Amino acid sequence: MRTPLLIAAVLVLLAGVPPFLDLGLQNALVNVLIASLFALAFNLLVGQAGLLSFGHAAYFGVGAFATLHLMRVVEDGFGFPTPLLPLAGAACGLVVGAIAGFFATMRSGVYFALVTLAIAELFHALAPRWQGLFGGEAGLSSMRMPWQGVTFGSTLEVYYLALAWVVVSICLLWAYTRTPFGRLTLALRDNEQRVRFLGYDAHATKVIVFAISAMFSGIAGSLQAMSNEVANYSLFSSHVSAQVVLHAFVGGSTVFFGPLLGAAVFTLFAYLISDLTRSWLLYQGLIFVLVMLYAPTGIGGVVQYHARHWQRLDWSRLAGPYALGSLGGVLVAAAAVFLTETLSVLFDEPYAVARRDAGGAFPPFAAFGTGWDPLSPLTWLLPLALFGVGLYVLTRARRAIGEEWEAIRSAPTAAAAAAAAASRAGS
Amino acid sequence: MDAPTPALQFVGVTKSFGQVSVIRGVTLDVPAGERHAVIGPNGAGKSTLFNLVSGLFPLTEGDIRLKGRSIAGQPPHRINRSGLARSFQITNIFHRLSVFENLRIGMLARHGIRYGLFRPVARLRRINEETREILSLVRLDARADDMAGDLTYSEQRALEIGMTLTTGADVILLDEPTAGMSRDETARAVDLIRDVTRGKTLLMVEHDMSVVFSLCDRVSVLVYGEILATDTPHAISANREVQQAYLGEEAAP
Repeated sequence: MRTPLLIAAVLVLLAGVPPFLDLGLQNALVNVLIASLFALAFNLLVGQAGLLSFGHAAYFGVGAFATLHLMRVVEDGFGFPTPLLPLAGAACGLVVGAIAGFFATMRSGVYFALVTLAIAELFHALAPRWQGLFGGEAGLSSMRMPWQGVTFGSTLEVYYLALAWVVVSICLLWAYTRTPFGRLTLALRDNEQRVRFLGYDAHATKVIVFAISAMFSGIAGSLQAMSNEVANYSLFSSHVSAQVVLHAFVGGSTVFFGPLLGAAVFTLFAYLISDLTRSWLLYQGLIFVLVMLYAPTGIGGVVQYHARHWQRLDWSRLAGPYALGSLGGVLVAAAAVFLTETLSVLFDEPYAVARRDAGGAFPPFAAFGTGWDPLSPLTWLLPLALFGVGLYVLTRARRAIGEEWEAIRSAPTAAAAAAAAASRAGS
Repeated sequence: MDAPTPALQFVGVTKSFGQVSVIRGVTLDVPAGERHAVIGPNGAGKSTLFNLVSGLFPLTEGDIRLKGRSIAGQPPHRINRSGLARSFQITNIFHRLSVFENLRIGMLARHGIRYGLFRPVARLRRINEETREILSLVRLDARADDMAGDLTYSEQRALEIGMTLTTGADVILLDEPTAGMSRDETARAVDLIRDVTRGKTLLMVEHDMSVVFSLCDRVSVLVYGEILATDTPHAISANREVQQAYLGEEAAP
């Protein structure tokens, strides 16, 4: 089959490539790994059990702080093997998750989401004031101690440790879906009432799912703590909780590996773009909105859709419309980026200073490596034209793609065609 | 004791929603092995009665005993584990799971595998075999791997009955199992219900008198939350009071 080969190839790349990358990218990859595990752990709850948590930062943060406490003890001479430090995060995530989950899962839907949000906010409010446990506003810091000749001094060593933990955790999360309890989790998402009338204690079941999700989130938090060697209350912020929701949904919460894709794409996006522009969070938000509107199953959903129809895809017919669609997308994106960046320059402090120096006139400004005149119509016609043309191309491409897919969907499946052929041969 | 303990006993069961009493003192014994129908006009409280027995609502007064033991006030999963399973009037299945999976969930519960986290479900041979048995019992073998949500209506009803059987309960409650079915489908459903409830106690809500006649040993007529009469189908259909209350209220003088 293709899938195991694909996974093997990805693993080989993940293991073989990083030594040849620069330090910044190695660090970014560690963050990708952590975000991927966090997103998959989160998705156990939202994708499989149908419970949308808005406060998963709590368990991520608990895992991080637990690990830092253990690291500090190890620093003082306690002989705990450094590679096993994430066990602390797992254990604390599990326990805190079980307690929080007990209360949160008493309700479902919006109320569940609000309770999880409140629990995370509770940590966020408590942590800066609790010197002993969370190190106050400054937070906790520690050092990774060497173990068995491995110093864990370099980013690369941390990367491989994180890789090992993330791969093992993902395997466990995957195995979970194959167990009786994994199936029950899906049933719970579909119809909680029926689960109860089949003899299951729905509340207990939900608490366990919640705790397991929190446990793996705790491992992700642990790895973050080990990588950064510091943690403070900002780990509990709603930003962290929102980020994982974003990753899971852009990646596709209905597909097992979807959230992993979302986490990888967004983490790398943040790494690559955040140096270039301060508006990167805006772009991230725009992407999220567009994905939710036009591809609600996320990246993973789109990939899965193609994989499911793979046998019937005629790329010679699809490639054209897809290329056209990409072109349209690029044009529209270019227009959006141009406007955003231009406006951010024009409304920024330096430009206000420049205007004052120019006596209130509108002096030219620099963007994209060249100068622009804010009063020239050309400056504003360019993005408008890009947007118009891009939108036109995109609509055309969308229609063409729609027609192609209509043909693909209505075509008989290979299996059905074979069966029909067999029955004709038989009669 | 002289008589054997009834499978299901209602003792002065009352249920009020605020000021409105929906069930007003129902007392009824359903002996083990009996197929018993509850009939009555719309709003008589038939579904409420089912919801009381299965634990969806708490009782206001009275007691319900399953094989002699009180189940009043227990949550649905406990009542199910004590040996009572129900179907629903509105099809209540796992739409996004396969037909096989729908049945296996109940089968796992029957074998007490409620928190099975340490082995793949595909390796539980006995459970998978027994699930296949139920699957063929409800004649859905060919649809085992299809999404339950993609089944036809009558197939979904059959699946619903199958799910009710999986947990191994010996008291089965079916809430209008043939509602919305064509004549042919109803006939098949009746055969199916007769097959699968052999040796079990059945309590069913049913509107179709022909179904009641061909399936049930006894019938209770529920009108405005009270049992008007309990008797064999023939005696019930001959009962003047029942005719007035249920079979033709407009025709009554």
